[in-house]
Amino acid sequence: MLVKRRVREGEGEEMIRLEDVKMHFTVRKGLFKTTTMKAVDGVSLKIGKGEILALVGESGSGKTTLGRLTLRLLQPTSGRILFENQDITNLHEAKLKMFRGRVQAVFQDPYSSIDPFMNIYQIVEEPLVIHRIGDEKERREHVYKTLEDVRLTPPQDYAEKYPHMLSGGQRQRVGIARALVLNPEYIMADEPVSMIDASSRVEILQLLKRLQETHNIAFLYITHDIATARYFSDRVSVMYRGRVVESGPSEKVIEKPLHSYTKQLIAAVPEPDPSNRFRERSVVETGSFDEDDADLVEVEPDHFVAGFKK
Amino acid sequence: MKELLSSGSGKIGAAFFIALVIISIGVIVAYPANFGLRYWSNPVLWADNPQVAPPSWTNLFSSEKHLETKVFESTGQAERLSEPGATRIVYRFNLNYAADEAPSFTSLTVQNVSYQDRPPIIAVTVQRPDGKSIGLYQLIVSGPRPGEQPPFRRYYDTPFRVQLSGEPNVASAVSDFLEQQFSLPISDQDLLVKGVDQAVFGVPDGDGGFKVLKGNYTIRVDTLLYNQSDSVGHLKYVVGGSVFGLLGTDTLGRDLSVGLLFGFPVALFIGLVTSVVTTFIGTVTGIVSGYMGGKTDTVIQRASDILANIPLLPILIFLAFIVGQNLFLIILILIAFGWPGLTILIRSMVLQIRSGNLVEATMTLGASKSRIMFRHIFPQTAPFVFATMIFSTPAAILAEASLSFLGLGDPSLPTWGQILESGFQNGGVYVGYWWWILPPGLLIVITAMTFVLLALALEPVVNPRLRRVQ
Repeated sequence: MLVKRRVREGEGEEMIRLEDVKMHFTVRKGLFKTTTMKAVDGVSLKIGKGEILALVGESGSGKTTLGRLTLRLLQPTSGRILFENQDITNLHEAKLKMFRGRVQAVFQDPYSSIDPFMNIYQIVEEPLVIHRIGDEKERREHVYKTLEDVRLTPPQDYAEKYPHMLSGGQRQRVGIARALVLNPEYIMADEPVSMIDASSRVEILQLLKRLQETHNIAFLYITHDIATARYFSDRVSVMYRGRVVESGPSEKVIEKPLHSYTKQLIAAVPEPDPSNRFRERSVVETGSFDEDDADLVEVEPDHFVAGFKK
Repeated sequence: MKELLSSGSGKIGAAFFIALVIISIGVIVAYPANFGLRYWSNPVLWADNPQVAPPSWTNLFSSEKHLETKVFESTGQAERLSEPGATRIVYRFNLNYAADEAPSFTSLTVQNVSYQDRPPIIAVTVQRPDGKSIGLYQLIVSGPRPGEQPPFRRYYDTPFRVQLSGEPNVASAVSDFLEQQFSLPISDQDLLVKGVDQAVFGVPDGDGGFKVLKGNYTIRVDTLLYNQSDSVGHLKYVVGGSVFGLLGTDTLGRDLSVGLLFGFPVALFIGLVTSVVTTFIGTVTGIVSGYMGGKTDTVIQRASDILANIPLLPILIFLAFIVGQNLFLIILILIAFGWPGLTILIRSMVLQIRSGNLVEATMTLGASKSRIMFRHIFPQTAPFVFATMIFSTPAAILAEASLSFLGLGDPSLPTWGQILESGFQNGGVYVGYWWWILPPGLLIVITAMTFVLLALALEPVVNPRLRRVQ
């Protein structure tokens, strides 16, 4: 393989850890007045090697910002970000390049996240060029292999094409191939299927899952779609207003939500059979849940809920 | 490219542009390198042309037929006659005189004479259609100076030119001729005032004046050499008309078509160099300013604010006085003050692009700032940049023309603006030297139009919303 893994993967080891990370933006209101927008407000979480963590929550809950923080695309206002127990919170741009070679991202919008002026081959080759890996011939082989991995076959047919010639699903495969070409250990996937036709969604998710299994990649899967989170992830963290309110193994959190926000979120999932709708809705507790700075409490092994009182 | 040629304005613009380029290349190949100083600004070279003469095709619209300038040179067939102790070389120049006016001047130019002992003699005789002939002029090449060794070389550096119309010896010869042939007593002085050529190419009208004698004239130039190795390199006899060439002449007798042709590459050079460099600086600073933000952004933006708000004209006038008038200085200043506008526009585009997904995605790959800026952001601004470049080309040409018109141009090179300015200075507008004013004006307008048409055709390429539905 052209791009070697630096560390052999091991179960249970930590990939990324966030410690009380806060990301506050200053928003200008009028000429002199500014307010602070707390996009992420004191989040601690960890993603193990080869683990898929789903980050769910409504729009504006801060999940995308959190995803960006794990890649150090943003520098947090406070808190620490550790990658393999190494602090990368205050790394300079130049030193980040090494780190960037080992983590990748798949973005929500396959239309705007790939360069429309490059052909597919150039797009997928670019990470190798940036990190100066291989010679022309080796790169070509590796790019073709990666295109095959994401089922853009035969790769020769796609290499010379430009993004506007492809469908949304095919473009997202290009985006995945670009993320995969450096053989990363961690991928942040920000709503990777939300802008794709329903018909291609499952294929893309299956592809991601298969790639995750064969390459043992740690994933942060950001979504507002509980159903795919359950299908795709090992663990789920629920975000609400910049904080994690519930976190635990996917099965447990989705089957038996404890926080009232999680319950509402799960209840909002549309039911395939509309006749069941009212029955489902009636289960929802409309009572308020704790919005204050409540700490996460371990309710059962590996299942944390904010402000839970036994 | 296809898009560009699909519109009418694109086709016309492209055709004009190709014509401009072809003419410019032709001129660069054909013209000597230091054309401006050695040729255009050298009055000696233009002495044999009539001054402020309109183009010769004006004859087509005129009831009175004007004389076109005729130049005869000693390059054709010559008759060699052997005489005792000498060789006589005879050139016969045939002139079919059909104009309704006398020549504005006649002149003889002798160049590159060398002799061994006796100086050669050159004589001009005019044989008229009425069978009469006038021995107009005789030149005995100046003799050896004390201490000079043969061969004696004369008129090598500076040609010997004599304006026959104003030469007292010629006047006296013609005066004698008139007295003998037409019994017309007229003094040399009066003849010089009336014009010697009036008499040479005419007959007395009985009213104290002359009327033109049309028909075939032969101008015979005899050269008498006294030694085998003596030679007269070049002889030129000119009958000056009152119309000239395709585009007429200015007050120095300069052929305006020559100057205007030279203006093509100069205009293209000014336009393209200024627009390319301005666009380059504007794009680079705009992208850097927009992408880097922070202090870099502030510095670039303040610098462009200052430059954009300094009035250009006073600076140019000031510098023209201090440093002198130089084409490159003018281009330099146009560039220095031209980029800020584009910087501000590109910056705002980059601010928008920067917040998009692509930049973030590329950052995730570990791409360097310069790679993101020039490999990913630049292509997105490129169509706009190229359109701006084409749009700013005529602006630079017009700016140079305006400066030239204000008398701040580079005097060593003829540009369209300068030809226009000199026409204006010499009262062309009031006296009616239209051939001196209109062509440079039209060329400036056509060249500017070419680029405007191209830019109009590029508009749909840049802005997809303007693209026609296929």
